[in-house]
Amino acid sequence: MPRPDSPGPASAPLIVIPAYNEAGNIGPVLAQIRACCDYPVVVIDDGSSDATASEARAAGAQTLRLVSRLGAWGATQTGLRYAVQKGHDVVVTMDADGQHEARWVEDLLAAVASGAADVAVGSYPLRGSPLRKLAWGMTRRVSGIALDDITSGFRAYNRQALEVLSGWRGTMLEYQDVGVLMLLNANALRVIDVPVEMRERSDGKSRVFSSWLSVAYYMCYTLLLGFCKRRSSPAVRAAGEA
Amino acid sequence: MVTVVISTVGLFAAAVIVLLVRRDRLHTNHAMAWLVLAAGLALLGFAPGIIDAIAHRLGIAYPPTLALLLALVALTIKLLVVDIEYARLQNESQRTIQRLAILESELESLRERLPSEPAPGARHDSPGSE
Repeated sequence: MPRPDSPGPASAPLIVIPAYNEAGNIGPVLAQIRACCDYPVVVIDDGSSDATASEARAAGAQTLRLVSRLGAWGATQTGLRYAVQKGHDVVVTMDADGQHEARWVEDLLAAVASGAADVAVGSYPLRGSPLRKLAWGMTRRVSGIALDDITSGFRAYNRQALEVLSGWRGTMLEYQDVGVLMLLNANALRVIDVPVEMRERSDGKSRVFSSWLSVAYYMCYTLLLGFCKRRSSPAVRAAGEA
Repeated sequence: MVTVVISTVGLFAAAVIVLLVRRDRLHTNHAMAWLVLAAGLALLGFAPGIIDAIAHRLGIAYPPTLALLLALVALTIKLLVVDIEYARLQNESQRTIQRLAILESELESLRERLPSEPAPGARHDSPGSE
């Protein structure tokens, strides 16, 4: 697996993986990526208390360690800033829990490379509990976002999207879903769904939907953000409407 | 008696604010807003008729209501300003943490590219260097 800072084409896609206490998963995830493609990978260790960083390093990935927990989006944004600094034109973000399959990376990259969109979201609406689907429906209604899978972290971003998301406005966000999509929308960037398949999480738990209290907080946060940032002519549309 | 208490609170608040600035526990720009509040309290204590006159002019039947309303508005504005400042600081802190992680990784990469680490206790300067 080439290192992200190794000599080579600066425009090569970079795979960014935020990870928190994923020591058991990160090795197999990186091996799977290596089996499918030869892109550099950077793992952002979000203040893990286990051996996530050393496992990632042992598997050949460049590893960035955050001294304090910033959450999944804060860690992802670190990777995006790193990519901008290193001159990468395209970034693919993936989860470290094995949910996202590397065999779909090329599909996401193709959607961005063809110019059809600035951001491609790996979409798998079949996953998730009825509660999650209810939350998606409410969020779509309030925010005006017409994507099928608004919470998917399996995405490809082009250079314009990277420039927008790595700025200070991106740092104001707490989650990577609605706020990020609406920030892209506000900058007239095009986002499309790309159908992919996803596996179940290896530990079966969602960090955002881990308890009723966190669900309530997430919903209040997301609905308020969606309401405040809503625009009359959304640029964030499903693939068929693009 | 009430006027004495209010003016004493105002003067005490002013003294505490000055002390905090002297001991570098409060920024001067933040102290200005608090001193205005303390001066307002002291003024109300020394000249309680002011609030009565203003309330009468505004048609407020019970003047203390006006004093409480003004205090509530002032505190609300102050809290909002604090939250805005907190958001800015949190943003800067988060971006600094991110930058630290990026720089640390670059430092590690540079270290790995060095031919060999100098032995512990070895001199880093060459004989002719300053």
